[in-house]
Amino acid sequence: MTLFDGSSGSEYRITGIYVAYTIERRLEALGFNEDTVVRILTRKKNGAMIVKLRGTRLAIGKLIAMGIEVKEASQ
Amino acid sequence: MKGNCIKVAVVGNPNCGKTTLFNVLTGSRLKVANWPGVTVEKIEGVSSYEEFELRLIDTPGIYSLASYTIEEKVTRRCIIDQDIDVILNVVDASSLERNLYLTLQLLELKKPMVIALNMMDIVKERGLELDLHRLPELLGNIPVVPVSAAKKNGIAVLLHAIVHHFEEGPIEDVFQYSNEIEEKIEKIEVIMSAYDPKHHFKRWHAIKLLEGDEEVIRDHPIETEILIDRSDEKKVIQEKYGYIEKIVEEVVFHKNKNAHRTERIDKWLTHPVFGIFGFLLIMSFVFFITFSIGDYLKGILETILATISQSIEQMLQALQVADWMQSMILEGAVAGVGGILTFLPNIAILFLALAFLEDSGYMSRVAYVMDGIMGKVGLSGKAFLPMILGFGCTVPAIMASRALETEADRRKTMMITPFMSCSARLPIYILFSGMFFERYAYLVSFSLYLLGIFVAIISAFLLTRRRKEKDKDILLIELPEYKRPNFRTIRIYVTTKLLDYLTKAGTTIFIASLVIWALLHFGPNGMTTDAAASFGAILGKRLVPIMQPAGLGNWQFVVALISGISAKEVVVSSITVLFQATNLAINSGNQGLQQRILAVAPEFGASNAYAFMVFSLLYTPCIATIATIKKESMSWKFTIQVILFQLILAWVAAVICYQIGRLLV
Repeated sequence: MTLFDGSSGSEYRITGIYVAYTIERRLEALGFNEDTVVRILTRKKNGAMIVKLRGTRLAIGKLIAMGIEVKEASQ
Repeated sequence: MKGNCIKVAVVGNPNCGKTTLFNVLTGSRLKVANWPGVTVEKIEGVSSYEEFELRLIDTPGIYSLASYTIEEKVTRRCIIDQDIDVILNVVDASSLERNLYLTLQLLELKKPMVIALNMMDIVKERGLELDLHRLPELLGNIPVVPVSAAKKNGIAVLLHAIVHHFEEGPIEDVFQYSNEIEEKIEKIEVIMSAYDPKHHFKRWHAIKLLEGDEEVIRDHPIETEILIDRSDEKKVIQEKYGYIEKIVEEVVFHKNKNAHRTERIDKWLTHPVFGIFGFLLIMSFVFFITFSIGDYLKGILETILATISQSIEQMLQALQVADWMQSMILEGAVAGVGGILTFLPNIAILFLALAFLEDSGYMSRVAYVMDGIMGKVGLSGKAFLPMILGFGCTVPAIMASRALETEADRRKTMMITPFMSCSARLPIYILFSGMFFERYAYLVSFSLYLLGIFVAIISAFLLTRRRKEKDKDILLIELPEYKRPNFRTIRIYVTTKLLDYLTKAGTTIFIASLVIWALLHFGPNGMTTDAAASFGAILGKRLVPIMQPAGLGNWQFVVALISGISAKEVVVSSITVLFQATNLAINSGNQGLQQRILAVAPEFGASNAYAFMVFSLLYTPCIATIATIKKESMSWKFTIQVILFQLILAWVAAVICYQIGRLLV
């Protein structure tokens, strides 16, 4: 599953990032790395969402959300 | 050491309170310029401690020392190339984990460095505790000073640390990567030593080469391809974050005890439905106070200016100054510049509100809230930020379009940002809606702001359709903690903007007023008292047939609009000069000017006034904006396209508004 399939209030663990090269690097610099836990704070139907990771709140668009592969954090 | 002067670069993440701290350290003695080659602002200030003079340079907020954005490149060049003695790294303690990533990169430069640990109050509020003894130990024993930029706590200790550490010299390696990476770094360092034995920052550059940094590769034409793998950058980043996780584990206690205030507020302000209502409500409140309180203060200012204008008139008469000279001073300079000065309160309130929204942390939420609507027209929610800044001034707004990812997005944003009503257009709305819409003046002005947003969004939609672009929305923006806006930051922001406005009134508008006066008092037969025989009238009359369908078939309006290209405020000063209202206030406010307009153009009514305002909203932006668009797009072709597009659109919209208005009234 990707972050796009996630729901508000749930936590997920990142398993891979599949977006354009420069964006991938920027995401990684912001702390989106494999095994990092992300919590979706709120999301819109169109896929834009606010997530929290490493104590930082970030708004990301649909394309980025669809490019971040995750699994349930409890798994 | 160069005498007693220490050069300090202030570096930190966006929203870490860097600017507030910088302002506290330097006071308001600031020198603002651009970084070489780019239009990013470079701010320098001076501070002193004991016998030392500290020259501080504020660098743009960045998350990483990579070279993907202009801000990153600028900051990097500053701390590597310029003779910076100490790096002052401002760290948001409430977001330690992310902030430390930049810190680790800075430490790899092995320059003297001091950390200012900001936002400690938020840390306390959340029920967190930081081990301030362990933290420096894990960061190579550099000084870590807790400060509160907002409350001015810890400033003396910080200055002491900068001076003391500066004398101590560079620091040692902070952490080791895995053996695999360390071996590669070592090998690259050896190759680099052969290439340039005197190389500074060898380790840092070796790591950057490993990360595949384009700029560093360009500057170091050495053979390292066999060593470097595409996945190395990923490993370097992950290992840094691995070390940061270790730091956080050892240093931060009582995690997540209190529910976050920010998250409670965000529940409403970023709600899919209420978020948009909230945004509209906030914006309409901003415009409401801009008009209501602003107009009240404007009235007081008008009375004062009228008194000044009258005393100048009496003085000129007492000195028996020639009539033409009196006319030039009173009808040209005083009327033009005075007319502009009376709008100072409205503009001050507007900028105050924008500064408040920005400093409180709300502004970046707008990008998220508007992302859905912006996505439908093919723009990222991020494009809404330049648009909001456009309410203040189009020039910085156009510059802000740089934050967008693709060239196509940037150009589209540059094309539509001028449709946002900048503060210079506010006087036009206030003047004309006040004269012709009386009780509904506020609503009419607000409708123009909405019309601007509407036209911008529709234009973006059409531009996207024309270029058949695919949906490329790349929204990625940090939402900072909500905080009480800092008085000092807001004060500095608002005074800078007002000084800009006053400077403009004293220069561009002063000259434009005199030029307009000359155009109206000189004709083919020399000086004339009949404005209808002046050069201005001849020029205006030529264009009257074009403007007739928009209900603006008087040469005076045409001339006023042409003069507005120098700066949009000039439209108002020109109107007062053209209709020979010595000062808006002398003729008992708007009514005097309205009577003079009706004397020249008896037909001129509410629909004409609205068409005039619509045209002013949409047509060619001012010279400064045109120059900025050219600079940012680096294309004359594109710049001319923008000008023509806006001119044609303004005409079409004004004609539609006037013709519909005429049917209704």
